[in-house]
Amino acid sequence: MSPADPEDQPRPAATDPDVTGGEGSALPGVLGMIDIAIARTEAVMLAAGVLLMALNTISNVIGRFVFQSSLFFSEELNRILIVLITFAGISYAARHGRHIRMSAIYDALPAPARKILMVAISIITAILMFALCYYSVSYIVTLASRGRVLPSLQIPVWVIYLWVPVGFFMTGAQYALTAVKNLLDKDIYLSTSVLEGYDDTETEI
Amino acid sequence: DTWRYAFEEALEEVQGKFAQKFKAEVEANSDHTIQLFPYGTLGESADIMEQAQAGILQFVDQSPGFTGSLIPEAQVFFVPYLLPGDTEQLNSFFRNSVALNEMFPELYAAQGLELLTMFPEGEVAMTTKKPVHSPEDLDEVKFRVMTNPLLVESYKAFGATPTPLPWGEVYGALQTNIIQGQENPTSFIESTKLYEVTDVIIYAGHNNFTTALMANKDFYDALPEADQQVIENATDAAFEYILAYQKDLESVALEAIKKAKPEMEVIVLTEEERAPFKAAAGTVEETFIEMTGDSGKKILEQMKADLAAAAE
Amino acid sequence: MAITIFAIMIILLLLGFPIMIPLIMGAFVGFFMVFGGFGQMETMVQQMMAGIRPASLIAVPMFIFAADIMTRGQSADRLIDMVMKFVGHVKGGLAVSTAAACTMFGAVSGSTQATVVAIGSPLRPRMLQAGYKDSFVLALIINASDIAFLIPPSIGMIIYGVVSNTSIAELFIAGVGPGLLILLLFSIYSVIYAIRNNVPTEPKATWGERLRAVQRALWPLGFPAIIVGGIYGGIFSPTEAAAVCVLYALILEFAIFRSLDLKGVYDTAKSTGLITAVVFILVAAGAAFSWVISFAQIPQQMLTAVGISDIGPIGVLFVISIAFFVGCMFVDPIVVILILVPIFTPVVDSVGLDPVLVGTIITLQVAIGSATPPFGCDIFTAIAVFKRPYAEVIKGTPPFIVILLGVSMMLIFFPQIALFLRDLAFAD
Ligand code: NA
Ligand code: NA
Repeated sequence: MSPADPEDQPRPAATDPDVTGGEGSALPGVLGMIDIAIARTEAVMLAAGVLLMALNTISNVIGRFVFQSSLFFSEELNRILIVLITFAGISYAARHGRHIRMSAIYDALPAPARKILMVAISIITAILMFALCYYSVSYIVTLASRGRVLPSLQIPVWVIYLWVPVGFFMTGAQYALTAVKNLLDKDIYLSTSVLEGYDDTETEI
Repeated sequence: DTWRYAFEEALEEVQGKFAQKFKAEVEANSDHTIQLFPYGTLGESADIMEQAQAGILQFVDQSPGFTGSLIPEAQVFFVPYLLPGDTEQLNSFFRNSVALNEMFPELYAAQGLELLTMFPEGEVAMTTKKPVHSPEDLDEVKFRVMTNPLLVESYKAFGATPTPLPWGEVYGALQTNIIQGQENPTSFIESTKLYEVTDVIIYAGHNNFTTALMANKDFYDALPEADQQVIENATDAAFEYILAYQKDLESVALEAIKKAKPEMEVIVLTEEERAPFKAAAGTVEETFIEMTGDSGKKILEQMKADLAAAAE
Repeated sequence: MAITIFAIMIILLLLGFPIMIPLIMGAFVGFFMVFGGFGQMETMVQQMMAGIRPASLIAVPMFIFAADIMTRGQSADRLIDMVMKFVGHVKGGLAVSTAAACTMFGAVSGSTQATVVAIGSPLRPRMLQAGYKDSFVLALIINASDIAFLIPPSIGMIIYGVVSNTSIAELFIAGVGPGLLILLLFSIYSVIYAIRNNVPTEPKATWGERLRAVQRALWPLGFPAIIVGGIYGGIFSPTEAAAVCVLYALILEFAIFRSLDLKGVYDTAKSTGLITAVVFILVAAGAAFSWVISFAQIPQQMLTAVGISDIGPIGVLFVISIAFFVGCMFVDPIVVILILVPIFTPVVDSVGLDPVLVGTIITLQVAIGSATPPFGCDIFTAIAVFKRPYAEVIKGTPPFIVILLGVSMMLIFFPQIALFLRDLAFAD
């Protein structure tokens, strides 16, 4: 890496389409519009989740130190937000090819082999994500039947996991679409919208 | 067969001692073996409870306070000044109580759990940074409690500022003075070293920490009678063992604390000093009935009757 | 069973699967083998949820958020400019400052991942600019951040203390010596690296320039002041300090320096959420994997096979070091402590070892494991935050691991490195 690395330059935050909020979709027509709507929802949930977490935690500090009164639901709310951020984020990351991987061997392979491998990776990943979606639904159903509640908020525990199967499903769908795209197109795609080689170009999200 | 048994504490703490005795008894009297999973090795309290309900674990030890999020009536053990301070009375209560031995098993059964026994873990002591003799002394003291509405209510009534904090942060928070107090049985205060970061240990007699051993109900019901008998005997043996073990436990733990930290001040509140704390406890009972309705009220009344019987 | 699972994980990792897949597949296969089918996969989901439950985890997104705001705005630049005016003319000065900053931040925040982000984000670009190779920079940041495990407050030491019934106060003090020794050795290595690679220095700044740089950095100097003052003043916990830093960063960049608009705040929050998710899904999968290893009692089986009764105190310390080092390569450090410590405690007692020394050595192995391939939380955090390939992130680690293992050896043969301060403080 040379001193002229793009990271070194002041980074105008608004030049990247990812950052300006312009979500693209690989899908045609109505499906594409739904896809874009989902991507925007995920983005809003990510940002809102992080901001609410900061607000919640700071409020608790101020409440305890200044007003001698803690927010009893603070920890539980943060737990809900962590689940929200994680599971909105994994599909958003899949969409933008941002899940971390060790690509040294993959990168050394010739293009046709890379293509086959990428299709296999996408399909296997999609299957595992769909399986986890299924099992998380069944976990939620079991939890709901037992009726355990959060001690402070007194809301059923299963409610805070509702986003989990959605996140797994959307992630699985992203990888399934990546497999399809790789089969249809002559280029190699890391995700529905990202061509391989991102490691060298450091797109900023 | 191999049976799995998880509990909420370390191997050398009360629940761990109970589990070791139970394991030894079962293994001596049957061909079964028991694997023990102490605190954290299979997850937190709620996790091991769910695993026992799912049948992955055959046995689980969980304190009724934690079970409160699943079985609201179990929170009755958080009502202060309900259980007696006298050890003989307390042991007699645990042996003979109708509420504990007949009513609670039904509530647990509805959750797929066979309640094998409940047992005491020792009087709950407060540790603080300054001496406490009255609720006024707890004024503006940020007191760490578990996030349970009844505990919060209790410490509000005691005049403190109840402060929720994850268990992993309690030691550090006492050290940096974010909080100035916490409550736990003496042996637990010793083993978790919380005395290192507080200066006074106070016995107000407000509670005795209770815990419970359960089995997965489907597993238990499917066992041949001989095996059920083995489990029942092992439970009884471990129960008697833990009552005897407890007799000296508190004083031994307190001695260990004093030896490690001679300047630790020990305060046992007099009956007179306890009066205002007891008076405050009434509001907690009301909150408990509000939260649990008729079912909770029935349990509470039965427990009071059992306690009266134990006092005779 | 363990061998099969580890083999599957390594193969999937090497083939270039997203790293969550080796971990999820490892757990999945583990659950399948232990329960003879798919009957208990709900518990796998349960443990994934348990993995992202700890309240202390929120420090990670909060410090990512604060560091990103500082780096996009002016706070980070002003702080580093100030440091450079003092150390820029010394060979390796910036690298030593980075290592020291990681140690100090890790010491107060108690979170190694947060340290990677909070110190690494602003300092890495500067080090690259100054001519250090990225592989060295990344390895330095990751490994120096892990010194945080040894210097109080340390969650690893608290858990060890509780499980082994050892004084936490003594453990805390015992960690300081080895922690500072590692910092010293990292610093020496950094200077040697700078000399050998001929990293250029800046001209020595005048005291006038230094004064100006300090003035420019006055507002950003509020960060260390708030963190240290707030935590030791009993106002907030290390976890909460992260959120307070977010608030302060927002006030500085939004209201005072005006280098960030509302859109910028939103974009930063979104990017923070994304990085958090990418790391936390690995934490979740790792927890499910750890659970199945623990449930199948694999560590117990492996250690019974080794046999550790008649090998003397030094031998026991070696076995402990190796067991924790290897365990932490794959499994979450906290779970490793919870599982292995009860197994070793009787042996430690029987050969008469000081449990404080053992705790210090274990904590050190845990620190090493978190920075050691193939699976390590701090490695994953660095990949997600700095957007560099896995291979590049771990390329520079060997010299650091050699140093850390060297310190492990020194601790085994010269326990006074850890016990000196403890004996001084707790002398009767
Ligand atoms: Na630390
Ligand atoms: Na590792």
